[in-house]
Amino acid sequence: MAKWGMVIDLDTCTGCQACTTACAMENNRLPGENWQDVLFYHEGTYPNVKLMWFPRPCMHCENPSCVSVCPTKATYKDPDGGFVLMDYNKCIGCKYCQVACPYGVRFYVDEKAVVQPDIRGVFPSEAGRQWDPPYKGPQDDPSRGIGIQPHGVVSKCTFCYHKVSKAPKGVADLDEDIPELKEYVPACVRVCAPKARFFGDLDQPQSMVNKLIADKRGVRLKDETGNKPQVYYLSGGATASVPSLRSMNDSGQS
Amino acid sequence: MTSVTVTNKEIASKQLGIMLLALIGLLFAGGLAISNLMTAGHAAFNTDNLGLFWGFPIVIYDYFLLTSTGLAMVASMALIFGGEDYRPIIRRALWLALAGLLGGVAVLMMELGHPLRALWAIPFSFAFSSPLYWKVMAVSFYVLSLVILQARMMKPDWQTQDLRINAMVTLALALAVTAIAGVVYGSQSFRPFWASGDIPVAFIFESLLGGLAFIIFFTYLAYAFNPAAVPASVKKLFNDRLTNLLALAIFIHLLFVLARMSSGLYGNAEGLQVWQTLATSRLFFAEIFIGLLLPLVLLVNPRTRIRPWAQILAALLVMNALLIARYEYIIGGQLVPLFKGAWAPPLLNYAPSPTEWLLLLVAIFLSNAVNAFGEMTLRLGREG
Ligand code: SF4
Ligand code: SF4
Ligand code: SF4
Repeated sequence: MAKWGMVIDLDTCTGCQACTTACAMENNRLPGENWQDVLFYHEGTYPNVKLMWFPRPCMHCENPSCVSVCPTKATYKDPDGGFVLMDYNKCIGCKYCQVACPYGVRFYVDEKAVVQPDIRGVFPSEAGRQWDPPYKGPQDDPSRGIGIQPHGVVSKCTFCYHKVSKAPKGVADLDEDIPELKEYVPACVRVCAPKARFFGDLDQPQSMVNKLIADKRGVRLKDETGNKPQVYYLSGGATASVPSLRSMNDSGQS
Repeated sequence: MTSVTVTNKEIASKQLGIMLLALIGLLFAGGLAISNLMTAGHAAFNTDNLGLFWGFPIVIYDYFLLTSTGLAMVASMALIFGGEDYRPIIRRALWLALAGLLGGVAVLMMELGHPLRALWAIPFSFAFSSPLYWKVMAVSFYVLSLVILQARMMKPDWQTQDLRINAMVTLALALAVTAIAGVVYGSQSFRPFWASGDIPVAFIFESLLGGLAFIIFFTYLAYAFNPAAVPASVKKLFNDRLTNLLALAIFIHLLFVLARMSSGLYGNAEGLQVWQTLATSRLFFAEIFIGLLLPLVLLVNPRTRIRPWAQILAALLVMNALLIARYEYIIGGQLVPLFKGAWAPPLLNYAPSPTEWLLLLVAIFLSNAVNAFGEMTLRLGREG
């Protein structure tokens, strides 16, 4: 059984948001409610200001606090692959998982629209779903949080379960440059132009993700939470770096 | 004798008036809230996906739930240890505990995404790792034991062993519900504003404080705030014991709040910066000075402590201070956004929406309607 992980190289990431856009298209995200987002911070004060950015999907934690707090087991860790997924049929919308996730990667589907006009009103759903966009991903699996969400539930990044789970068994890396594997690569990884994102099996020592983590000293976001993310960041310090705080302070710094 | 009879009749008609008013209010507030929720959905609340996930409805729910457990603690401890003196308040406190709980749960049901699904999805999930699972299970058994205890107390003879056991079970469940409610927040280690091992204990003291304030206020309400109609046994209990207990509970609660505030102001963990804003806010000042210190003064001053108006005012102020405290605690723990970078300000802005305020009215009106019904039909002041 694989344990899928992602490595994001902050030295090569340009903050272009292609990953965000690809994820939004792949998963029919509402504008502004991005399962994958690039966060911008600035450091220093004028005139010595530096812009920082930080791409952030769900960490698919090894020890996910969202899973342990869920009172209905609607959010769960799939032992085959290590995906942290949502079962929309069991979720009661209590939002405890949102409260308990240290990384802010969960979204309650019925909040006010972040971007106006509210696109849910432009493309209303007849089928009790959140909306009915003109293009919908072909996959629909509510028991794994794939497809347009119903009302009253929490949603999150699936690590593109609908693609990754179909990859040939035993493969160490899902690399968009390998033609026969590219269909199984998560959308955000596949579109990354500077190739800052890598996806592979953390349980296979020879995988590229493990090599990168070892060679470039991969770190996990807020490791002190004990959640043990399966997303690692590489940061040589030349450009963007892993933020030490979850918010900006009063002077807008991370 | 005649004058008391007349007063009782007057009081009964006042309870009917309270019930009718509460029902009209409930119809109005509930209807408006439901219509807002039907049209705008959850967007009728001012919560968001930046970090403020649990808003005022959760504050209301926890406030009513913990008031209910506080009342149950007061009643069951009175049955177990209190002796004869406490008899006049026991049945009233138990009924009020049920009424309050009903108000809180009604609000929770209007907040949840799938309230009906929750009824089966939680009990059958066996999600033992979730504090919320245990909270719901504990609340279910707590309601059951409250109902059984109330039913048992309709019968005379309150000295029996079975009644004591029933009261002990109710006390244990009330303590469990309250402590688990504390664990829900206290276990969030990456939210230092919430996280602390002593939160369940603080919650228990806050519940007790709420229970004492509510029983004093609602006992006077049961006699239409007419001190002449209040039985001598009740006056004696209030003057000799409950006011002292209420003052002590206020003092302990103040210690918890001030201890949290000082470590919050001096600590530099991310999330504690909320205290810098909170400790200088008008709401916080109102809570401390008007909601807690003023009642404390009223209750320890020998000239005021036995005055009914002072007892009523102190209880009312404490009831409000506890709502503010619950609000500050639950909202304050979420004001620092979670990894949103420049998409969110350093501290989130939140104020309850009109629909959220309506839910407070729903809880108040529903609990009052149920309580007044109990006062009218169950002779809650019976002493054995
Ligand atoms: S990042 Fe948050 S939502 Fe994702 S697995 Fe970890 S705790 Fe759960
Ligand atoms: S919102 Fe849904 S997934 Fe999250 S804790 Fe509640 S029931 Fe579980
Ligand atoms: S793995 Fe898939 S769902 Fe997750 S951020 Fe990337 S594209 Fe979005």
